[in-house]
Amino acid sequence: MIPKVAVLSGFGINCETETMAVFEMAGAKADRIHVNRLVNGELNLNDYHIMAVPGGFSFGDHLGSGRLMGNRLRFGLREQVRNFVKSGKPVIGICNGFQVLVKMGLLPGDDDVSLTQTASLALNDSGHYENRWATLEFDPQSNCIWTKGMTRIRVPVRHGEGKFVTADKTLLDVWGEAGQLVVKYVDPSSEYPSSSNDILPYPISPNQSWRNIAGVCDPSGLVFGLMPHPEANHSTWLGATWTREDIEHGEGEGMMIFRNAVNYVIDNFNN
Amino acid sequence: MGKVEIFNFQVATQDIEGLTDARGDSIKAMLESDYSISVDSVRVILGYQVKSDISEEEARRAIYDLFADPIIEFGTLDKSLINNKKLFQKSPEIAITVGFKPGVTDNAGQAGLDGLRTIFPQISEESQVATTMTYLFWGISNDISPTWLASKLHNQMIERASISDRVECSNSNWPKLDFPERPVLMEQPSATVNLEVSDEELIEISEKGLLALNLEEMKAIQANYRNQKVRSARRKLGLPENAPTDAELECLAQTWSEHCCHKIFAAKIHHVDHETGEEVYIDSLFKTHIMKPTLDIQSEVNWLLSIFHDNSGVIAWNDSWSLCIKAETHNSPSALDPYGGAMTGIVGVNRDILGTGLGARPIANTDVFCFGPPDYSGHLPEGLFHPSRVFRGVHAGVRAGGNESGIPTVNGAIVFDERYLGKPLVYCGTVGIMPRQLPDGRQSHDKTPQPGNIIYMVGGRVGSDGIHGATFSSLELTEDSPSSAVQIGDPITQKKMIDMVLEARDLGLIQVITDNGAGGLSSSVGELAELTGGADLDLAAVPLKQPGLSKWEILVSESQERMTIGINPEDCEAFEKLARLHEVEATAVGKFTDSGAFVVRYGAETVAHLPISFLHDGCPQLQLESEWKNPHHNPILFPSADADEMGEILSRLMARPNVASKEWWVRSYDHEVIAQSVIKPFCGVNHDAPGDAAVIAPIHGKTQGAVISNGIVPRYSDIDSYAMAAASIDEALRNAVCVGVDLDLIAGLDNFCWPDPVESVKTPDGRYKLAQLVRANRALDEVCRAYNLPCISGKDSMKNDATLDGEKISVPPTLLFSLIGNHSDVRKAVSSDFKEVGDMIYLVGETHQELGASELAFMLRDESNGESGIGGQVPQIDAPRNLSLYRSLTKAMSNELVSSAHDCSDAGLAAAVAECCFGCDSGAELDISTLFNSDVNLDVWGALFGESLGRILVSVKPENSESFEAFMKDHECNYLGKVNSGDEIKITNSQALVLSASMSELRDSWKGTLNGGRN
Repeated sequence: MIPKVAVLSGFGINCETETMAVFEMAGAKADRIHVNRLVNGELNLNDYHIMAVPGGFSFGDHLGSGRLMGNRLRFGLREQVRNFVKSGKPVIGICNGFQVLVKMGLLPGDDDVSLTQTASLALNDSGHYENRWATLEFDPQSNCIWTKGMTRIRVPVRHGEGKFVTADKTLLDVWGEAGQLVVKYVDPSSEYPSSSNDILPYPISPNQSWRNIAGVCDPSGLVFGLMPHPEANHSTWLGATWTREDIEHGEGEGMMIFRNAVNYVIDNFNN
Repeated sequence: MGKVEIFNFQVATQDIEGLTDARGDSIKAMLESDYSISVDSVRVILGYQVKSDISEEEARRAIYDLFADPIIEFGTLDKSLINNKKLFQKSPEIAITVGFKPGVTDNAGQAGLDGLRTIFPQISEESQVATTMTYLFWGISNDISPTWLASKLHNQMIERASISDRVECSNSNWPKLDFPERPVLMEQPSATVNLEVSDEELIEISEKGLLALNLEEMKAIQANYRNQKVRSARRKLGLPENAPTDAELECLAQTWSEHCCHKIFAAKIHHVDHETGEEVYIDSLFKTHIMKPTLDIQSEVNWLLSIFHDNSGVIAWNDSWSLCIKAETHNSPSALDPYGGAMTGIVGVNRDILGTGLGARPIANTDVFCFGPPDYSGHLPEGLFHPSRVFRGVHAGVRAGGNESGIPTVNGAIVFDERYLGKPLVYCGTVGIMPRQLPDGRQSHDKTPQPGNIIYMVGGRVGSDGIHGATFSSLELTEDSPSSAVQIGDPITQKKMIDMVLEARDLGLIQVITDNGAGGLSSSVGELAELTGGADLDLAAVPLKQPGLSKWEILVSESQERMTIGINPEDCEAFEKLARLHEVEATAVGKFTDSGAFVVRYGAETVAHLPISFLHDGCPQLQLESEWKNPHHNPILFPSADADEMGEILSRLMARPNVASKEWWVRSYDHEVIAQSVIKPFCGVNHDAPGDAAVIAPIHGKTQGAVISNGIVPRYSDIDSYAMAAASIDEALRNAVCVGVDLDLIAGLDNFCWPDPVESVKTPDGRYKLAQLVRANRALDEVCRAYNLPCISGKDSMKNDATLDGEKISVPPTLLFSLIGNHSDVRKAVSSDFKEVGDMIYLVGETHQELGASELAFMLRDESNGESGIGGQVPQIDAPRNLSLYRSLTKAMSNELVSSAHDCSDAGLAAAVAECCFGCDSGAELDISTLFNSDVNLDVWGALFGESLGRILVSVKPENSESFEAFMKDHECNYLGKVNSGDEIKITNSQALVLSASMSELRDSWKGTLNGGRN
């Protein structure tokens, strides 16, 4: 089977082209879907296996990044989104898409998919937007289907509001134990595994996110979001220092995330 | 729903351990960095003034459903947050609230309104949202006046501020701004302008109306209305027969403005060269030196698809895709409002790409800025912003415009010179891509307009903002420059429009498209009307931001984010449906005709009727005088310096703003969206060494690439603008060669920014400035021909002077040359950083004693208070020699023999070596004695810091050196030494040590100058 991916677009989302490209490289069929085509009933999420909310500047990040797009989904597509998640299909939000999923309460989320916001993404401590490369480390214990078998990757971060925080710090322990704090910034010169809860210095942690959190998943491990851009490292020649490395050219370090989800769908929905 | 009321929402960051008020901290850092003011603490409160018919209960819901983040923010309705002791234990010492003036674009307010509609879809059409920012200060010195502080936090041209000083704060008397109600506009009835007046009065009409038309042009218009044929035609139409309507005169002024029709480049020039005795007439610099060479090249290649006539030039990149490129300047608006001016610059040039052919997708931006020195401490004429503020504002505007549009900023430059104090230069460029063929079989680079096509205005609405931008930019800047010429862009409205237009293109719905920039509808419809032979425009159909605009204002307003598109009548329904889906406004406002006239109506009333031929060909040719004489400069006085002192000189050069690292600024541009960036602005082991050209691979998974580079060296104009232009072109090409460009597919863009070169009372040296323009054009012609590098588009901005406080400041003649080229295989692209210890370092290209107007010369001049001059030989070009070397070098690169390549330019070889070492965390040991073979006049200063063209610093793995040298055997290629471990950069001349420096100390000075604040 060829899994179908709904890649959302419109209102300032701007990474839909490369997000479609990486799913297609991973063997899926990706459609660019303007959010309003789902709201007006022209299309239905049910007809897709994976939903991706790409990066961008939806509504210009005004009133908090991801907030207004999150509201469009929370108010306009509430039941479609809940049914999609409850039917066991994977969802990913990247950068602005992650902000959308957090602000609409889908991440870190809960078993009922109640769409209640429990965390947020605050302004980077630097107070401004930055584009730089970071190294990420994945939690091998996590049940996140998107990050299965992954250890470390190098990817660009491109955001101004990526500091993962919450009002109730005990939740961090709950999420940590459940394997939901699935990906963290890490010092590339350290031995694997070495992810830590102590906030790493800038710019290893580009935004001073709590516990160095770069991305989280929901309790089911199907809904995943992260601030960095794995889709921007789809080929080796896009790396930050590839001209210094003795490499065989081909697929980039970010691709495994998308392959994991496509394979998950093939294994679980092939009927 | 009830009656419309105003609700005030306030939002602040909650006091949670580990969470900072990053907005406040940024203001604190800015005050420290730009004004050396230290403040204990700054906090920020966001305000939303909502004017709507929601109920009190709904408003309460909106606090946390919309305005405040329920996890990290605290929100209130109709209560001042400053009194909240949980958030602010102590009263602030100063409080300042800033909001927009009525009518100024408030993007966050628009987003808030959209968000309010998402939750309450039934709210009244009248609903509006305005935003404010309140800054609270603690621990601020008593010497700082609250008014001064407020002036640094807002721009009075577009914003207003309410201030609570120390006394008011102690009485809890907080700043307050009323809702920014737009003032009611009084529509002026259509008028007729009597041109049967004296010459003096004609000029007065032009000056008072900001028309920027000279006497001859006014007389040409006067003559048109004396023509009996014109009169009888007008009589039949019921128009005033012997005088233009106000709308006609405005439309002509826009179309004939220097900004739109490039009168100086089209002028007939009498050029005299006192050095050589040459005396000639040049009939249009543009036709002679720009168009002709490109047409000659076009006759020999098959990839120049569309040149000069469209919004950008188009080249065939491969069988499936074409690329286009355009750069514009937005200098005058950026001087008045750096943020809004720069933002509208970048989103405006994006629309040039969208308006190319049947619509291209913008995929990369370039930004090149010229500012006054950031540390300028001299006299600043009244009415000017300090250059550091211009820098910050322009940077923020381009950042917002580019990032929010999802277009990566891949390349650029920042140049500093005191003469940019009056008018900064803000060049914004964009590269676009389009499929060569659309699904319906049409070539996408050709427009296919037909009479009968319905004219749509798409995107934003028309307002009183942006009236007279085109004519204003054709005048010098003065205290009286109008604020209406300034606008703030709205990238999200434009992004929605771009998404929609490209979908419409692929569905085959678009027949013709162009953007609404300078001159608004009068230019966009007027220009497209030339293609079909006429247009009929109904201003009554045009959607407005507010009622009360006069008819001519609707016609010429430059309100942003609008495209003009021609659609077949049978496709209108599908087009409008697509627009609704994308929530983009698209309104039919007329149709294209073949009547021979551009007709403008307001409902049944005809307000303008202009024959297409007079509109586009009626402007008389200027006759100008040009006189060249070599300028005199004192020679450079070199200090005596041992090797360590030479190291210190290098260190000071690295810290000069022109050379220093721009990393802090460039990092805040997204340079990687679209996932195509192969060679980025930064490279090296620590991602902080400077890249040369950008390489992108825009088709995901494919390895064919495009190279984008820039060249700009205004310093050389002080000696000779021919050398300046030649050096700019060579720099752009050299940068492209450094990454391995395919030299058989390269195209250029020329963007001239000149001081007024027309001799007059205000410009007594006009002849010399025009001669500088002539010389620059001759260089462009000769060098582009030699490099087989056609100019496919370009632009000129010819009035870059400011007269303020009675002082005239003119920019140095500046040419930005941008280049786009093919890269056959991005996997073989080369970056500038040295790769490994032991790699062999070569300098390719000849070094001559060329220190005239060099960065070193300017530094020694500044350090000696002008005693040392900048005179001497300015770098000369030998284009055929350079091209032949570039061909060999790029061949060596495609054979993967080159490990690194870096442009050797500003501050010469020594600076290039240092930069390559930064990328490798290494030192280097070099000997320069072989350089002296190419020029008997060369001395150590020239060898280390000279800026001879055509030179590239290369490193090669030892095992590749033999093959590399074989590729370069016919060229000047000097082995200099090796990449060393450790920190020392050591340069000898035979046995003598001539320069010694610590790499990390050089890096610190290089990074220290332009660090814009805390990280």
